[in-house]
Parts: sequence; structure tokens; C-alpha cells
Amino acid sequence: MLKIRNLKAKVEDKEILKGLSLEVKPGEVHAIMGPNGAGKSTLGYVLTGRDGYEVTDGDATLNGEDLLELEIEERARAGLFLAFQYPVEIPGVSNLEFMKAAVDAAREERGEDALSSADFLKAAKAACKQVNLPLDFLKRGVNEGFSGGEKKRNEIMQMLLLQPKLCILDESDSGLDIDALKVVAEGVNSQRDDQRSFIVVTHYQRLLDYIKPDFVHVLSDGKIVKSGDASLAHELEAEGYAWLETYDRQAEEETA
Amino acid sequence: MSAWLANAIEKSHSVNDWLTAKRQGALALLQEKNWPGRKTEDWKYTSVRALEKRAISSAANAGEVNVATIAGLEAIELHFIDGHFQGVKQSLPEGLSIVELSKADAEVQAWAVEAFSACKPKKHLFGLINDTLADNGLVIDVAEGADIKQPMRIVNEITQDIDVQHRVLVRLGEGAKATVIEQAGGTQESYFSGFAEYFLAEKAALEHYRFCLRTGKALSIGGSHFELKSNAQINSTLVGFGSELSRLDVDVMHRGEGAHAKINAVYLLDSGEIFDLHSCIEHEIGHCTTDETVRGIVGDKATATFNGRIHIHRDAQKTLAELSNKNLLLTDNAQINTKPELEIYADDVRCAHGATVAELDKSALYYLTSRGVSKSQALVMLNFGFINALVDEMPNSALAEWLRPQLQERFAKMNQEPAQA
Repeated sequence: MLKIRNLKAKVEDKEILKGLSLEVKPGEVHAIMGPNGAGKSTLGYVLTGRDGYEVTDGDATLNGEDLLELEIEERARAGLFLAFQYPVEIPGVSNLEFMKAAVDAAREERGEDALSSADFLKAAKAACKQVNLPLDFLKRGVNEGFSGGEKKRNEIMQMLLLQPKLCILDESDSGLDIDALKVVAEGVNSQRDDQRSFIVVTHYQRLLDYIKPDFVHVLSDGKIVKSGDASLAHELEAEGYAWLETYDRQAEEETA
Repeated sequence: MSAWLANAIEKSHSVNDWLTAKRQGALALLQEKNWPGRKTEDWKYTSVRALEKRAISSAANAGEVNVATIAGLEAIELHFIDGHFQGVKQSLPEGLSIVELSKADAEVQAWAVEAFSACKPKKHLFGLINDTLADNGLVIDVAEGADIKQPMRIVNEITQDIDVQHRVLVRLGEGAKATVIEQAGGTQESYFSGFAEYFLAEKAALEHYRFCLRTGKALSIGGSHFELKSNAQINSTLVGFGSELSRLDVDVMHRGEGAHAKINAVYLLDSGEIFDLHSCIEHEIGHCTTDETVRGIVGDKATATFNGRIHIHRDAQKTLAELSNKNLLLTDNAQINTKPELEIYADDVRCAHGATVAELDKSALYYLTSRGVSKSQALVMLNFGFINALVDEMPNSALAEWLRPQLQERFAKMNQEPAQA
């Protein structure tokens, strides 16, 4: 599904990703944890092609296709989806027309006919319901005046409609109360199957109680410094990221 | 002086009705005015040459035209065809009186003669001409405390090459609520002068719309003017398409503490169209608020002019006033002349203004394209969204649903050299 090899990227002249490698196979859920400033959000931005994030080395492929060569919209059509940590408010553009345009583009890419307005509305309403968003949110401007939790649920609503192949959830749990967290997690879990893959970026173990990861990686200073199974998240939660440094030192000492 | 103005003055001598005293006063002022040219500050960017060439004429009879109703809007329909009123077809709710300007009885005349030209500033040359010549229009009176749910929709359609001088007077009694829509459309070569004055007593609330949708050779110069007594409020939405000459003046007089004016204006101009919006908010008294947002998209070689003045008088302490004008230019030849003017003589006020040529929101573009929407389509959505945001704010959703597709269609036709990404 996704193969990232030795990815290095900078923002303005600051190197943020310093040789990140990661492979995600179909159906897998990978959690990426790490301290602030480690480059967790940068990874999502670089993979989706945000302006200002410059790749200086390495490569990334999605189902064999060189992601980094594609335009932003082509990456999305290839099946990449980023649930934003800070979804953008766009007054004047309704959620509904935005999603209709996005779904039309995805269907066209797959060689399918565009949905009729009625069929699309039906699908959109169902997606809204699934994440507990009132239906009038479809008519409102994209994220306009939504609360933090509503924005996060709106991201999941979009994911449900677009049916991407690889979803990156960038701190989709931040700022959510426990009920909203469950809604987000259930939305994600409903999409899990042996083909669709997820990268769940989070600070906290909490989300991983609801979205069970197959792998947990620790990102620190632009690199994955440790990988393990779900139990690694618990260790991190118990010990904090400082524990990693001690851990690393111990490891170094042991090898030395 | 232009031949057209001389003709107008000459014509005004023959008007003789209950407004004669007012008309004579306007005529005296008019005779001292100069015909606007390039050096006239108020007309610097908008030429009235198209008007100069016209001969003034009116229509003996109304032409044939159907005024389409608006789906979902249960309005009191008030139609003028070629300046001829088509009558009130609905029965009016209690507390509402609507009479034709020419048929005002003594009781109506008693207040209307005082109101006539009382909040329309004397500086408007074409308003003065309207004072002297207006021979059709309405006098609307909403009784104290009346809450008129049905919007009053005044539509002007012109089917012949004529001049129409149209006048509306609206009075809202204390605590009264009403909605008035002023709409003019069509492409027929003609001149439409539509001036309306609104008088809001204490705590009255007016929802107002003015749709200036005349295009092509349909020339328009008009104004909507409001006087607000204490705690009165207006929520006004102005929409302008351009034509060879389209000019709208909006004046708000805050004349009682606690008055509030919210004004949203949108213009969408194509080809060589001209639209000129002048607004002037007079904070004559303290503790009043103004919130004015003006947005326009200018395409091809069209020209938009916006002059927004906020005048805070010496005693108008605790005024809150905000004025913003943002513009999107779609081509190198599109032009916007924007000038916010703040004149502040009180020291304890909060006042903000800004005028910009809008830049594309890059994070919004990224967000839309990251969902697979093509860049070109995302640009169209964002550009249209820029004005649609104000359509979304219209309190009446039936009107918004009616207007939005018209704006969309117009926008789709516009020369879309997208603004730089």
C-alpha cells in the first residue's frame, strides 16, 4: 500500500523529516506517536503535497505510484486521505457542494458515473448520521462556525463519503470528549477491512483503546526511532517520551 | 448643464400635486448644482455620459411582461411595469397600509409630505431630480407594534426606452417589524431612477433587500436611505449587477441611541459593466453600531467603484462601526476603485475599516484539492464562495435560494482568467 523510504523534508530552511521510513500493508493500522515537534503532522502534509513542504530526499509510493510526483488532487484521487488536525473553515462553500465535487472526482477516477444529486444527498445524509452531525451541517459553509469536535467529525464524514485507500488521521482525537472520541473511532473502525489502511497520528494512548493498531511507531526528531505492537503505546503512556531516551541509552550501553 | 438635466428641470415645472412644495425646494437646489464630470469627486469613476444623450420620455401604457414570483416566498407583490403600478393583489394584514404615491389621501399626505426627502441627503443630484419628477411609487405605513410577516416585494420592470422616476416612502412605527424588497431587472435600454426612504421609529426592525439587476443598456441611478431612531435596526442586503451605468447610494442616519445597521453588499460584474456603490453612515448620536461588509467580483474589463463613508459626529460616543470591502479581480483589465472614509469627531469610539483586493486563501485551496477537487474547480468554488458567504447570511432563505443560482449562472459566464493561485 504505502512505502516510505528515507524521506527527508524541510519547511522554510528547517529540516523536519530526517530520513523516515515506513511500510504500511493493505488492511493495517499503524499508530504514530511522538512528542511535539517530532514531525508527525509534517508527514501528513508532505504525503498530501502541501505547499511549502519540500522533499529533499527519499521517496514515497502508494500502490506502486510515486506519490511525490503527483499534484495534490491526484494524490487524493489515488486514494490518499488526510483527516486534518485543524480543518479549514471556508465560508460560502457549502459542505455539500464541496463533497459532491470531491466524490464526483473520485468516481470519475475509478471510471464510475457521477452520482445523481438525490443519490449523493442520500449518501451524504447517511455519513452525517454515522458521525452524529446534524443534517443542516451539509448546507453550511465548510467547517464554518463548527466546534472543534464537529470539525473532527466532519473530517470523518468526508472520509466515509470518499472511501479512500489510505487514511492518515492527524490527531483526530485532540480536543474531543469521550463521546465524540468514540464516534470518531467508530467511524474509522467501520471502514476497516483487509484492503483499507490507516495511519493514526496521536499524542495519546486513549484513541488507541478504541482504534486498535497493528503497529505503533515512535517518531522523534524526524525519524521513527522505535516500532512495536500495541503494547508500545501503553509503555509510552506510562513512562512518557523521556523514557525513550533512557531506553535508547540503555540499549546503546548494552551494545557497547 | 446637460441637455438632459435642462429637460428634467423644464419638465418639473409641469408637475403639480401634493408634493409641489417639496418639489419646488428640490428644484431650487437643483438649479445650483453642476452636472457631474470627471472632476466631480462623487462621480470620479462613473461617467454619466450615457444619460446625457437621452431624451426624457415616459410611457403612456405599461408593456407586456410577466414578473416571476419567487418560490417559497409568500410576498405581498407590488409590481411596476414601465412606471405603471399593477395594483395590490393580496389583502393586506392588519397594521399595514400601502398606497400609490399619486393616490395618497389627506391622512397619508400629512406625514408623507414631511417624510419626503427628509432622510435622503440633498447632495444626491439624481435624488433631487427624482424629488422633482417622481410620478410613481408607493407610500407604505407599518403601524406601531405591527409585525408584518409577509415581505413586501417591490419590482420594477421596464419594457420600453423610457425614463422612470420611482419613489418609495416607508414608515415603521414604534416596535414595528417588516421586510421590504426593492428589485429592478431587465436589459431594455432605459433609465430607472429609484429612490426609497425608510423611517424607523424606536425599536422598529426592518429587513431590507435591494437587488439592482438591470444590465446592458439599462441605466440606473438610485438610492435607499434610512433614518433610525433609538434601538431601531436594519439588516440590509444589497446586490448589484453592472450595466452601462448603475449607481446606488445608501445612507443611514443613526438618530437614536442603540440603533443598529447591518449592511451586506455584493456585486458581480462582467464585460464592460459599471457598478458604483456609495454608502454613507451618519452616526449623529452615541451608542449606535454599524456593521458593513461589501464584497465584489469584477471580471473582464468591468469597473466597480465603492465609496464607504462613516461619519461619527462629535457627540456620538460609544459608537461601534466596522466597514470592510473586499474585491476579487478576475482579469488584468478589471478595475476596482475603493475608498473607505472614516471621519471621526468623537473620542470614545471603536471603528475599523479595510479595503482590499482579495488574495486567494491558500490553506482553503489546499484543503479542497486534498479531497481530490481539481485546482481549477476549487478556484471557482472559492471565488464564488467569496460572495456566496454573504448570500448565506441573508435572513430570508427563499430569497437566498432564488438569488444564488442567478449569481452562479452569471459567475459561470464570466471571463474566468482565474486569479493567481
